[in-house]
Amino acid sequence: MPAWLFAAPSIPNDVGGKYVAGAYIVFVLLLLIYVAIMGMKLARIERDLREVAEIAESRTAAPAADQAAPGRGSQEPSISDSLAPGGSRGGGA
Amino acid sequence: MYGKGLRPLSIATVIAFAITLSLVFFYAPIEADQGFLQKIFYLHVPLAIVALCGFIVGGIFAVLHLRRDDPRYDAYSYVSIHISVIFAVGALLTGSIWAKGSWGHWWVWNEPTLVSFLIVFLLYATYYPFRYAIEDRQRQARYASVFAITAGAFVPLNFLAVRASASLVHPRVFATAEGGLPGSMMLTFLCAIGSMALLWTTLVKFELSAKSAQGQMKRLRRALDAPTSAATSRIAPEVH
Repeated sequence: MPAWLFAAPSIPNDVGGKYVAGAYIVFVLLLLIYVAIMGMKLARIERDLREVAEIAESRTAAPAADQAAPGRGSQEPSISDSLAPGGSRGGGA
Repeated sequence: MYGKGLRPLSIATVIAFAITLSLVFFYAPIEADQGFLQKIFYLHVPLAIVALCGFIVGGIFAVLHLRRDDPRYDAYSYVSIHISVIFAVGALLTGSIWAKGSWGHWWVWNEPTLVSFLIVFLLYATYYPFRYAIEDRQRQARYASVFAITAGAFVPLNFLAVRASASLVHPRVFATAEGGLPGSMMLTFLCAIGSMALLWTTLVKFELSAKSAQGQMKRLRRALDAPTSAATSRIAPEVH
């Protein structure tokens, strides 16, 4: 255990110490609840982002399939390539 | 855009809180009258002050929204009030714990400071149902701004009225005839106020960033649904 922890004054084991600990715990709990709610919101945004990415992927795939005429299909980029930065450029025609 | 500078601000907040808590528990002297219980002062009072200032800031952003008709200011006003309401809950809870330890009661109804803060809190608690009772986005933003300005003006008036009234049990620490806080306590208290203000700013920025991401997501969804019409629309951070 670090030496500074031994030097630190402990919370007095009287009524005051109990209430002080309670107040600071309430504050930390409030922050934790807020962070948990924000975490849930972030998870929802992530889920939405995944859905949007899937829609975008399917849309990119559809014209690519249309353009993949016999004899030209081998030149088309894959779906993952088309979604990569700059990957869709020069893919089609 | 709103997430810019969030990381250094968060780090600064953590450092400020570490310094403040060290000062509270290792530097600030034990108060002669209340003893160790008085340490709640460094948490409860900054929470209350920052919450009240946040309500006023929300009112100022609402004025800017009405003057410039920029939906971003409506989002700033909403988020300022939202975070301030959370801080006000913290102030009420910690104050109640302090009251129980100090006076033996969780709440004292004939104390103007407590009751006035509760009135301000309840006033802002009606902000959410008031705002979301209006479906039209533009009207919702306008009416919410009028509410924020009126309630924001009420906060300092309420504070002055309470200061002018005779307090029964709630302590008056600043600008008292006895000279207020000693130096070491004042330094600790100022650090606590600074830390709490930093935390408020960080949370406001964090919330704005999340709202902006949500708004951008909806924008992207709309653009995918109707590519031609959504491409030219101007989207502000949506408030939900």
